Amino acid sequence: MLKVHSRCDLSCDHCYIYQHADQTWRGRPARMPPATVRRAARRIAEHAREHGVPVVHVVLHGGEPLLLGAAGLREVLAELRAAITPWARLDLRLQTNGVLLDEELCRLFVEYDVRVGVSLDGDRAANDRHRVFAHGGSSHDQVRRALALLRRPEHRASYAGILCTVDVRNDPDRVYEALLAERPPRVDLLLPHATWDHPPLRPGPDPTPYARWLGRIHRRWVDDGRPVSIRMFEALRPGGGGTEAFGLAPADVLVIETDGAWEQVDSLKTAYHGAAGTGLDVFDHPVDEVVRHPGVAVRQDGVDGLCATCRACPVVDRCGGGLYAHRWRTGSGFDNPSVYCPDLLGLIDAVNAYPPPTPPASGEWSATAPVDELLDDLATGHGSTSTLALLAATQLSITRALLAACRDRFGSTAAWDLLIHLDQAAPDAVQAVLAHPFVRPALVHRLDPAALPGLGAALDPLPALAVAAALRAGVPATVRVPLRAGAITVPTLGDLVLPGPGESAEVTVGPGEFRARIGSVERTVSLDPLAPPSTGWLPTRDVPVPGGRLLIEDGDPYRDCYGQPVEPRLEAPAARALGRTLTDAWRVVQRDVPAHAAALDGGLRAVVPLAPDPARPLRSATARHAFGAVAVTPHPDPETLAVLLVHEWQHAKLGAVLDLYDLVEPGQGTRIRVPWRPDPRPPEGVLQGVYAHLAVTQVWRSRADTDDPDASAQAAHFRAWTRDGVEALLASRSLTAAGERFVGQLRHALEETRVGSG
Amino acid sequence: MDHAPARPTRPDLDDLTRSLHTPLERITVEHADLVEAVRRRVVTTGSVPSGVVAVAAFNSSI
Repeated sequence: MLKVHSRCDLSCDHCYIYQHADQTWRGRPARMPPATVRRAARRIAEHAREHGVPVVHVVLHGGEPLLLGAAGLREVLAELRAAITPWARLDLRLQTNGVLLDEELCRLFVEYDVRVGVSLDGDRAANDRHRVFAHGGSSHDQVRRALALLRRPEHRASYAGILCTVDVRNDPDRVYEALLAERPPRVDLLLPHATWDHPPLRPGPDPTPYARWLGRIHRRWVDDGRPVSIRMFEALRPGGGGTEAFGLAPADVLVIETDGAWEQVDSLKTAYHGAAGTGLDVFDHPVDEVVRHPGVAVRQDGVDGLCATCRACPVVDRCGGGLYAHRWRTGSGFDNPSVYCPDLLGLIDAVNAYPPPTPPASGEWSATAPVDELLDDLATGHGSTSTLALLAATQLSITRALLAACRDRFGSTAAWDLLIHLDQAAPDAVQAVLAHPFVRPALVHRLDPAALPGLGAALDPLPALAVAAALRAGVPATVRVPLRAGAITVPTLGDLVLPGPGESAEVTVGPGEFRARIGSVERTVSLDPLAPPSTGWLPTRDVPVPGGRLLIEDGDPYRDCYGQPVEPRLEAPAARALGRTLTDAWRVVQRDVPAHAAALDGGLRAVVPLAPDPARPLRSATARHAFGAVAVTPHPDPETLAVLLVHEWQHAKLGAVLDLYDLVEPGQGTRIRVPWRPDPRPPEGVLQGVYAHLAVTQVWRSRADTDDPDASAQAAHFRAWTRDGVEALLASRSLTAAGERFVGQLRHALEETRVGSG
Repeated sequence: MDHAPARPTRPDLDDLTRSLHTPLERITVEHADLVEAVRRRVVTTGSVPSGVVAVAAFNSSI
């Protein structure tokens, strides 16, 4: 947090900077001098470089940062971007009272990709209770004008949200409605800073007015379908994640004052004069030294850093002891529960109780279904259609989040603009492209090339995604697409090999076709299947299967994510033969284990041919980043391929679950002996193993009821592997509670498989 | 306003399903915590806890 200006143009009587115990602002420069800004930026960059920090969040704060003016702010923003961006993604924020916000400043914030939070306490009466000028006049009109500016389409990207300080004397319904009327992307509700020395206002006999007041807003918010992100309520949910105010995550905020002093979080100013001080500054002390300061270090200990009362509390993982500053009491320091403890308990109860938990309707998955329900369904060995649909939806959502992260990391481009246009105009086309299994590997590789070694230089995948979506949508567009190995890949559609050197091609999308130009060479590709083949165009090939159409993916470069060589593009006869075998194999799965066939229908969209290896002729693989695809060595026998498909699809499903939940305790070095390998394996590998072997057991168990003479022995073999793996996992003490339940259910499913005789 | 992203250990199921209804353009603003959680959980170079199968060519890992 960078305090770029230490004075304010409002005179709010609830302000912790000026009205509470700490008064150090009086001795600091009004504005941060340019040399201090430069030094601060270099200190942050130095830390990012030395520690490989991927993202740095910098909040311009005050006082009132807009008092710096547009020119002053531009200098600060330019300095920060120039110093930090070479080393880390820089997430720039600014918190303001909004009074001085104008169009010029909005343009500046859009230009520098700064997200702006505005303080507003609710309706006019609520806001005027505290947020007034020194002469007592209201700031309400100016703040609302600022919010209207941020809402404009051209500024909307810079609208971060609203900070509302709670006052229980205000009408919660009117406050809620006033906040929603400003259409903020997010609302942050702030408990007024208080300590045991100076407890919060509690008018009337109610001992927990803040719980009641916030509980009322929570109920409205739930009833309205959670129309806006409200940080407090989201953070207080089970597993909702920590914030500075809640949760047990280590404190990771430092403040740089206008004189270059390093300070701890500025809410500490409410405790006592000088409470946030460290005695260190950006001129002489790097970040690492500040982090070792006792006041910062003590806040890295999670639950161990809390008082005995909090450590023994059943909801300590929810509130995390509350905001550090709110624990202050002269004599015992910060070794106390929050002064808001009764209110936080009441609020957590309110969040738990509303809405009341309801079981999902039969055959329909509820988005809020608990983890146990999802895992119990998958622990049958296969999983229902609705569970598969949910997993596929979460995978698509993760891909969209990665796409947004790329935009965040690398800035807006023509391809991004085209994608967001198509997302509005033709969302189905964009979704069809983003659901392609190899989009996520492309985005992960772009964000961190080291995460997927072997894929070579990280190219921007967005132009090719935009072209694919535009072609599907029939929307004319032109973008430059980077070349890899002399070709451009249009995900889901094919590859175009282009002649000559060049780093990118200009691609123009037209009705049913596209043109690619590199230098003086131009290629036109028709997507009409009845048209003559287009020069250099290698279209994808797919085959009909009961679940729809299955892509034989042998062109997309990001398919090379399995840790073993993939086959280059198959010759036409080989592709046709593999297609026939895959279609037959899918039917075999339907015949043997219809529930597993339904699970395949729910998400398997592509098969990647692996390169042949005489030493290991029958291989298959799944990649965590490529849900919807499996890789196999082409094999002519559909009975064999059917087992591989079932086996690999188990890994894909469980991988999608592991994106959401920890089933294995993280950070343990446990290794487990398993019957299917000579070397001890990590618990997650064993978990994947037993889940796949359970399904294979079910396949062979079913075949044992037919004339297959080998089936019973195979079923017994895989059953023994599964049983031994399950028992070893449960004995290892390496599973989370959810993991133990899941594996326990797998054991039950295995017993059912034996008893049920297929 | 607390501008720092929340520190979720994993993408939240509810956020994931809700974000599908958010236009791409607004995901980083309206689902900042989700984007951060996905970034931390999915883009995992060098930070994969012991015992986790990270890249998951599972058949060489199980």
